[in-house]
Amino acid sequence: MSHKNVPTLWERYLTKEIGIEFKACLYFFAILFFYCVYQIIGHVYVASILHMAEMIFSCYGICYLQVYLFVNFDEAEKLKARECIGMLSCTLLYCLISYAGKWFDRSISTTLLFACYLLLTYFCVFLIYKYKRRIDDKALNADLKLFQTEHKK
Amino acid sequence: MKIDIQQITDGEDSLVLRYRELTPTVNRILGILRDQDNRIWGRIDGESVAVNREEILYLESVDEKVFAYTRDKVLRLEGSLSSFLTEIEDEAFFRSSKSMVINVNRVISLKSLPSNRIDVTMEGDEHLIISRRYASEFRRLLRGER
Repeated sequence: MSHKNVPTLWERYLTKEIGIEFKACLYFFAILFFYCVYQIIGHVYVASILHMAEMIFSCYGICYLQVYLFVNFDEAEKLKARECIGMLSCTLLYCLISYAGKWFDRSISTTLLFACYLLLTYFCVFLIYKYKRRIDDKALNADLKLFQTEHKK
Repeated sequence: MKIDIQQITDGEDSLVLRYRELTPTVNRILGILRDQDNRIWGRIDGESVAVNREEILYLESVDEKVFAYTRDKVLRLEGSLSSFLTEIEDEAFFRSSKSMVINVNRVISLKSLPSNRIDVTMEGDEHLIISRRYASEFRRLLRGER
């Protein structure tokens, strides 16, 4: 195999960074949705730019932790103790930031609901990645059979 | 097909095959002629042993020594993984990690893993991993895009 086709260290780093950016946007969107619903329920029809800035920066920071420290738990094959610890730790961090930043007016019940919402989001993302890999398996095995048939001709 | 056989008394033995189209018959004859090239020589307990390269499941480099694994034998080969790949020029042998080359024709199934890695189930139910670094190239190989 030609080595010029193998991604360089820089390209691999860039791929990982893009992955983190994607995750940060995904979780930011999920948190923003919860925040907007909370605001609408309280009859407030504006969103604070400061809160949104805090959300996006915390998403970036926590996604870095998620990828480099907590073994990228949402893309894991199985949810074991290590993955659950990562999930709970990130949820706790988001809750602490939301409490400190008064995203939900320091309401304990809303913060607890927010924690449940985040855990559900993580679980859904985990299932989405898992299902995506199952679809990928089918495509990979179909390509493999085609390659083997063509190569043996 | 016209067959012209000549016995010579001196000079080098040679075979010339002239064909207009690569028919199954021509392919079969070529297969017989090339059979010698299909054999890979290695050592088992100091003894020279040859195996058909199609028998090889994968090759592994350990401490700068290259080993070829078939279903029932482990041969120590001369040279490196890179030199093996250059020599055989067969795309069925794919570099799956820094220290491993797999024979794609002896793969039973593939499984997509997190972080874009691929789990390979070889004949004999052995599992090997294609690292993220080589996975994209492997996908291109399977799709015939290399």
